[in-house]
Amino acid sequence: MTTLSPDHLKTLEQSRQRLIQLTHSLGSLITSLNQSDPLPTWSSLQTQASIISNNLQSISTHLSENHELLRSISALPAPEFPTKTHANTLEQLLRTKLDPRVEDWVSRGRKADNSAIQGSSGSTGMFSTLPSASAAGMNAGVVGAGAGGRLSEDDLAALWEWAPVEANSEARRRNWGGNFTLEEKERGIQQVVAELGLKRVLEDDDESEEEDEEMDVGFGGRIDGAPDNAGAAAGEHALPLVPINEILRYMTTGVMPAVR
Amino acid sequence: MHELLLFASVPSHQHHELLQQLTGLTAMQPRHCLERRLIFKATRKPDLANMRSGTGQGPDIVRLNKMLNGQMFYTQVVGPLSEADFDGKPSSSDSQDVSMSGTHEAAGSSYDYDSQPWRLEFRDTPEAGFRSTITARLAASAALPKGDVVPSMNAWGYSFVTEYVVEGDMFIYNDIVIFLHRVLQYPATGQEPHEPRRQLPSFRDLAPLEKTGSYILQAAITVQDGSNQELMRTASQHLFGLREQLKSAVRLEHADRLSLDTRAR
Repeated sequence: MTTLSPDHLKTLEQSRQRLIQLTHSLGSLITSLNQSDPLPTWSSLQTQASIISNNLQSISTHLSENHELLRSISALPAPEFPTKTHANTLEQLLRTKLDPRVEDWVSRGRKADNSAIQGSSGSTGMFSTLPSASAAGMNAGVVGAGAGGRLSEDDLAALWEWAPVEANSEARRRNWGGNFTLEEKERGIQQVVAELGLKRVLEDDDESEEEDEEMDVGFGGRIDGAPDNAGAAAGEHALPLVPINEILRYMTTGVMPAVR
Repeated sequence: MHELLLFASVPSHQHHELLQQLTGLTAMQPRHCLERRLIFKATRKPDLANMRSGTGQGPDIVRLNKMLNGQMFYTQVVGPLSEADFDGKPSSSDSQDVSMSGTHEAAGSSYDYDSQPWRLEFRDTPEAGFRSTITARLAASAALPKGDVVPSMNAWGYSFVTEYVVEGDMFIYNDIVIFLHRVLQYPATGQEPHEPRRQLPSFRDLAPLEKTGSYILQAAITVQDGSNQELMRTASQHLFGLREQLKSAVRLEHADRLSLDTRAR
């Protein structure tokens, strides 16, 4: 075997870096699952899962692009390798068979891949990558979704059956009526309608206008018909004239604010 | 008993909105409250022997004595009202036995001073430097006999100063009592009367003390054992929590200590 060219070294280095990235993101997912209480939000889990999936995908592409090289080279310890201190690493490097656990994973991945992409004979594996193995298949196998990219007819039917009911019940729980933004309402709906050239104003905006009117009444004419002599006359947005401390003093000792 | 308090001033245009916000926050409908408050001022050191035995017995009286003995203070006598009480026409107080909280739509007006329940509320001057960010004061209250309280109060050495009406809405939020209220004054009738009114004017004639009709938001926690530092700390933390929650709506603050000074000079 000839010595490795710089290109080959680069390829190896790249594989190493991508694998490091994958280990990192897997590690951080595990830590966040172990340590955070309550569990991380579904959105952060999803982000992490998609990061991992991206990592896997880039590794898979990288491996399949360079599989000829990777298959043809093998590791041999150089004399200066610190065998005594790094015996473990050396053993790992010199293995010709996979670790039994890894063997299991690979076979599980292959099985899932086979069931996912029926007809396609491509098998995916880290070390015997065939060009036909698609990155998506790899993903499905390793992430363990099992279902692969496609849903069966039954699943689709079930989904269609479930979705409308669920969507409806979800919709009922919400308060609809957001045809206009608050900003638009403040500018005046009529004006917005004119600007946008709307042909008709939707019903729910009539309602919200009524609500606005009711609110105005609520401001001016109090809820329970109690007196409102000065309040309305002084203007809607008048700030209190008497400081709160003066009022508290009156409430405590009966000293009129004006007197002081 | 100790009271921890925070206050905020609420402009009248914000009142309705704040009511809704508080309703949402506390998940309860506002409880509308109307009270008439009489302010009494100590005029002389009370004399125990002077106490009339006819006004009532029991532990309440003993507590009252403790409360009123000592320094001279302003104190309040509070009587709950209902809106039906404000109708102008005086009722014949001797003929019928009207219950205050009753449902008397038929009898247009039915304020009966002689069966008005009263509660004596004593509030000490806020503690100096408890925590400069919160108002803390000693508080005590006791039930008083129904009807005319002036003779009893005079006997204890207190004289009537003035009275007003407080109207507002109350919310309970965990251990916090939130009271959004304002002071209403009776319509001016020449000179200030020297004793509590026996009849109430029409509610519409009452004018807010603060002319723009602004409200006061008061958040209070009552701590039974004021000497327990742990309880006091927890309570003030709860109040600060509420202050944070309401931060975008109102600014709850401690009140100026001297404005709540109840010492009579």
